[in-house]
Amino acid sequence: MTMTPISRTVELDPNRNVPGIRRPGFSDTLRAEWIKFWTVRSTQWSVATLFVMGAGLTVLVCWAAAGELASETADEAAAAFVTWGLMLAQIAAVVLGAMVVTSEYGTGMIRATLAATPSRGAVLAAKALVLTTTLFVVGTATAFAGYFGGNPFLENEGVGVALSDDGVLRAMVGSGLYMAGLGLFAAAVGLLVRHTAAALSIVLGLVFVVGNMVFLLPGAWGEWIGKLMPGNAGSAVSSAASFNPMLLDPWVGYAVFIGEVAVVLLAGYLVLRSRDA
Amino acid sequence: MIVASGLTKTYGSKTAVDGISFTVEPGRVTGFLGPNGAGKSTTMRMVLGLDRPTAGSVTVNGRRYADSPAPLREVGALLEAKAVHPGRSARNHLRWLAATNGIPVGRVDEVLDLVGLTEVARQRVGKFSLGMGQRLGIAVALLGDPRVVVLDEPVNGLDPEGIRWVRNLARRLAAEGRTVFVSSHLMSEMALTADHLVVIGRGRVLADCSMSDFIAEHAASYVLVRSPQRGEVADVLRRHGLDVAVHEDDELRVQGLDAPSIGELVGKNGLYLHELTLVRSSLEDAFMTLTADSVEYHAATPAGIAR
Ligand SMILES: Nc1ncnc2c1ncn2[C@@H]1O[C@H](COP(=O)(O)OP(=O)(O)O)[C@@H](O)[C@H]1O
Ligand SMILES: [Mg+2]
Repeated sequence: MTMTPISRTVELDPNRNVPGIRRPGFSDTLRAEWIKFWTVRSTQWSVATLFVMGAGLTVLVCWAAAGELASETADEAAAAFVTWGLMLAQIAAVVLGAMVVTSEYGTGMIRATLAATPSRGAVLAAKALVLTTTLFVVGTATAFAGYFGGNPFLENEGVGVALSDDGVLRAMVGSGLYMAGLGLFAAAVGLLVRHTAAALSIVLGLVFVVGNMVFLLPGAWGEWIGKLMPGNAGSAVSSAASFNPMLLDPWVGYAVFIGEVAVVLLAGYLVLRSRDA
Repeated sequence: MIVASGLTKTYGSKTAVDGISFTVEPGRVTGFLGPNGAGKSTTMRMVLGLDRPTAGSVTVNGRRYADSPAPLREVGALLEAKAVHPGRSARNHLRWLAATNGIPVGRVDEVLDLVGLTEVARQRVGKFSLGMGQRLGIAVALLGDPRVVVLDEPVNGLDPEGIRWVRNLARRLAAEGRTVFVSSHLMSEMALTADHLVVIGRGRVLADCSMSDFIAEHAASYVLVRSPQRGEVADVLRRHGLDVAVHEDDELRVQGLDAPSIGELVGKNGLYLHELTLVRSSLEDAFMTLTADSVEYHAATPAGIAR
């Protein structure tokens, strides 16, 4: 049997095996989240899907619709089609945003994260920054790729759209902005429900199902609820001309959308800060 | 050093940890022993600031865990071994953890080597066996070369060789002067690893003493005495200040004197003995007895197989 040892505490040099001690700061948290973000395949898949679907479907739709748009009976603006693919590609942004948070709860890894960085606000800020930066860059690049791939088909039919045309450049950058906001929205919902499937159902349900159904509500207030739904308010900024005449002006809508995201994110932060990991 | 005082955690109406106080000193292995559901993991999560205590407090090296400037360099912990994204490689898992506390990447390869995972370092963790996952968890705990090491059931899922490895590791870390806090639901494991013992049952501290004191106090042996003159024998022994308990079958359990001396004492008084046996109680029995009232879910089998 082991005996209680006489006190023989040795003072360890804290830098013995790990040299270069330095109080870690936000840049370290950010770097850690960046590594974490890119070292799982789901990130690579989501980003690739966003780009391929977003740009690919835009090109496909421009090719298919060019003739129709050029005809006498055309009642839709060609400009509405140059970011068409993003309507579906936004699913990938939602998946990516939700997973950034919920995969940590699903695996229990959140405990390692919060033990390594006890400041929960810093963890959330770093996650949000990595996510939104990536989605903004990828979303904008996707919009440009779709434009440059699809516009030649429109030009062939004489209905081409120039980058200098009203709202076109704004739609390119707006696509990145909308993807970033939507990803953040999904991440914030993830903080509240801590479950991948639940977070995806809620966000996709709100954007694709509820967002469209509320327009069926009667009267002016139904119309307003429709305008204010996150997917409706936020997406206008990502298209040069809208298919839906009921939407708010692009920047007004985006401001409303960001306000909604901020509220959910704040709720998510409060839950993250107060609930046990 | 870890100091808990009045530490309490309730989940709804369920009290998982019930006002416990203890100190984990550096330079020795402190075993945190208790049956499943006793509150060990909950306590350890509170040490790391993951669960907020309902009441009481716990400090590591004199301050709250969250107030440590670089927590991984101060406290290394293994909580749940499999709490790793299955799609990430072991090396990448350690890389992001190292980044959080500004630990150089070289240390990542060092701890991978230390736990014997170098060859599988770039494989997805999802393919790891329970034992490999446990080794990765220990690599995480050692990443920052911390002065305080907290290991929650580190030998779960390990083969005998792995168990010996963890045991030696814990002892070596303590010998280096570190604070080592290891939980287990197995008395036999603790007996081989720990210098000091904190026994917990239903969220309360049942014993807090050195391993040797625990053995002396709770696994006390007794001398079994059988005699056709049971009453007289008991009287004689009691007159000499011995502790005598009468059990079924005329069995006397005597404590306070060794068997030969008891035999002589009885003989000098002209009484007969039919049996005189030293009975050593096993440590496992002592632990079972101590925690008998506090086990949450009794196993259906009489052997009491722990989950
Ligand atoms: N998050 C939680 N919510 C509700 N009950 C919990 C939670 N965590 C632990 N418990 C309960 O608290 C008690 C102690 O659990 P735990 O600390 O895991 O024990 P041990 O690690 O000693 O097996 C158990 O009854 C367990 O069911
Ligand atoms: Mg446990």
